Amino acid sequence: MGRDAPAAPRMAAPAAAHAAPAVGDADRRRARDIHVAIVGGGGTGAAILHDLTQRGLRCTLFERGELTSGTTGRHHGQLHSGARYAVGDTDIARECMEEVTILRRIAAESIEMNYGLFIALDDDDVDYTAAFERACSESGIPNRRLSTTDALRHEPGMNPNARHAVMVPDGTIDAYRLPLQFLATARAGGATIRTFCEVTGIDSSDGRVSGLTVRDYRSGRDERIAADVVINAAGPWAGSVAALAGVGLPITPAPGTMVAVKGRLCNMVVSHLHPPGDGDIIVPQRNLSIVGSTQWKVDDPDAIRTPPDDILRLLDRARELVPAFAGAEFHAAWTAVRPLSGRTDAGGRELSRNFQVIAHASDGAAGLFSVTGGKATVLRAMGEAVADDVCRFTSLAIAGRTADTPLLAHREFFRRQERVHEPV
Amino acid sequence: MSRSDDRAPAAHGAPEVRAEIRIRRTDGSRSVFSVDAGEYTTILDALEEIRTVHDRSLLYRHSCHHGSCGTCGVIANGERVLACTTRITSDEPLDLDPLAPFPVIGDLAVDATPLYADFPTDASYLRDSDARPNATDPVAPEEVGRFTRFENCIECGICVSVCPVVRPFKGPAALAAYGREIEKRPDREAELLAEIDAPDGVAGCDRALNCSAACPLGVYPAKHIAVLKRKIDARRADYSP
Ligand SMILES: Cc1cc2nc3c(=O)[nH]c(=O)nc-3n(C[C@H](O)[C@H](O)[C@H](O)COP(=O)(O)OP(=O)(O)OC[C@H]3O[C@@H](n4cnc5c(N)ncnc54)[C@H](O)[C@@H]3O)c2cc1C
Ligand code: FES
Repeated sequence: MGRDAPAAPRMAAPAAAHAAPAVGDADRRRARDIHVAIVGGGGTGAAILHDLTQRGLRCTLFERGELTSGTTGRHHGQLHSGARYAVGDTDIARECMEEVTILRRIAAESIEMNYGLFIALDDDDVDYTAAFERACSESGIPNRRLSTTDALRHEPGMNPNARHAVMVPDGTIDAYRLPLQFLATARAGGATIRTFCEVTGIDSSDGRVSGLTVRDYRSGRDERIAADVVINAAGPWAGSVAALAGVGLPITPAPGTMVAVKGRLCNMVVSHLHPPGDGDIIVPQRNLSIVGSTQWKVDDPDAIRTPPDDILRLLDRARELVPAFAGAEFHAAWTAVRPLSGRTDAGGRELSRNFQVIAHASDGAAGLFSVTGGKATVLRAMGEAVADDVCRFTSLAIAGRTADTPLLAHREFFRRQERVHEPV
Repeated sequence: MSRSDDRAPAAHGAPEVRAEIRIRRTDGSRSVFSVDAGEYTTILDALEEIRTVHDRSLLYRHSCHHGSCGTCGVIANGERVLACTTRITSDEPLDLDPLAPFPVIGDLAVDATPLYADFPTDASYLRDSDARPNATDPVAPEEVGRFTRFENCIECGICVSVCPVVRPFKGPAALAAYGREIEKRPDREAELLAEIDAPDGVAGCDRALNCSAACPLGVYPAKHIAVLKRKIDARRADYSP
């Protein structure tokens, strides 16, 4: 592999140790006979596939388009330390920080780990700072207050009129290559991945799922596939996938716009030190700088057009954080849809970013699990939580080991090609 | 509520064009669709609308929608482009074809596997950051050590698609990756140069320079190949009597 990740002396301790499981041979043999079908090839589906494959279950992932073509590939690209959510959404804040530590260990090549600055622009922000720092510390997020002079030494791109800054371990993710690392590792472990295959039906008998109907768009054919467990990891589309089994799922698809300009105007993630709002984060990535995002709600996550108003508003906001946005050349504007857990009559910002794994046994579909909410940053933890539930459901005493397993490089996804596109 | 419904795409007085998109399908035919394009509408936006509104069976690759993942390369009216950063600006018919010579999975979706076959093993995808937002050089905080960033190359395959060489050839993307890895890891130079000192390595390049002209990320593969060739020649000279 390439270089080691930079040393991080002030990072929090890794998540609770994942002890090696004492797995009986009987469980191992039984695991191989359990077929798990995963619906959705975003980061969440990728991490579930990796975890369950590593635990020895037979897994097939179905993605209706290209891998990560839903929300995952399009997200803002921020590796969240959790600081953004620390005030008020503590569980996801803590989870993010634990996962930052783990991902740096298992997937360092998909992360620009340059940390982040939350900058205070006015009196309100200055007043908010102490609560922010306290909340970060309570969630295990290392934070350090910097004077504007010190912050500018690290990040000359930030607004020089800021009042002060707080540094936290934020970073940039390659939204496509991080999930590819999970998928490459899963496939090398024997998992099957089928792209351009849309799940169009979920079969069940006697209150228990028994398989799927899948339309393979390459062959144009419909197929019935038997499965002992079905996992709905369809992101903002999870509501319509659950409906295939006659199950209602509380989920709020909430789109948001992002705008990229040419030029790497900062190295560190620059955020506004205030409660989460529109256009208050700038994520540098390669030779681009990306401002995001906005938020509204929709019923159908498909075919959403990027509102031109959002583009101008985001560019305005970006200049307050990184003034060089003013002269920067427009590169791209696009929209992604959050799969927020729960339902709301308000705008959606008040919904927790935490994730939920829902077992649908009480809905008459035992063996069907849905996962909603979360962040791309916590994909591994989501995979582990789902896999734990699947193991409980199938009475397998096999613990997860993904926190301690370095992932294959993203290119290995293509270099170890044997099983891609292979029908089950 | 759907804000996308009540916000017209051309809200800023941008001229809205009705574009005719003619897509090459798996069976060789062309499907024709009309799409309203506003100021910011890209080829990928149009494909998304066609798939989700008109034809769910349309196959194409996409992920990031902003020129970072490298999955969305297509041939648009004969030109190799990223669909996600190429805006639709005229109502001229737009012919879309899959990115030759990659094997077609279906419609516009190609299999990227051949692109990766000859990349150097264990090459790092990270590099030191070259950002200089202001005149002063940023000083990375001690927690960070030094600022890093991803490589420029997004592995989109456009350089390979425009390369005229038809003999067995590792190709511009893989050779550029060799060049970058040797720049970052001089200790691997001998090992890596040996791998590309072959008829299908740097010697395969005819210096057409199409790759450097077409690369949407400014990687300049031909420049890397020229540097690698000089390094190989220099090593040969060192060893000759
Ligand atoms: C604007 C915005 C910015 C964000 N920024 C960040 C950020 O900076 N950092 C961060 O950590 N998180 C961020 N997030 C959150 C993050 O993007 C999501 O939490 C995460 O990507 C969700 O991944 P997923 O796999 O659950 O969903 P998805 O990526 O949407 O995956 C679901 C997949 O299921 C497929 N599918 C749907 N229906 C079917 C079917 N019937 N059959 C087969 N396949 C189907 C879809 O095509 C899709 O690929 C952001 C989200 C948004 C909207
Ligand atoms: S969709 Fe990622 S480069 Fe175009």
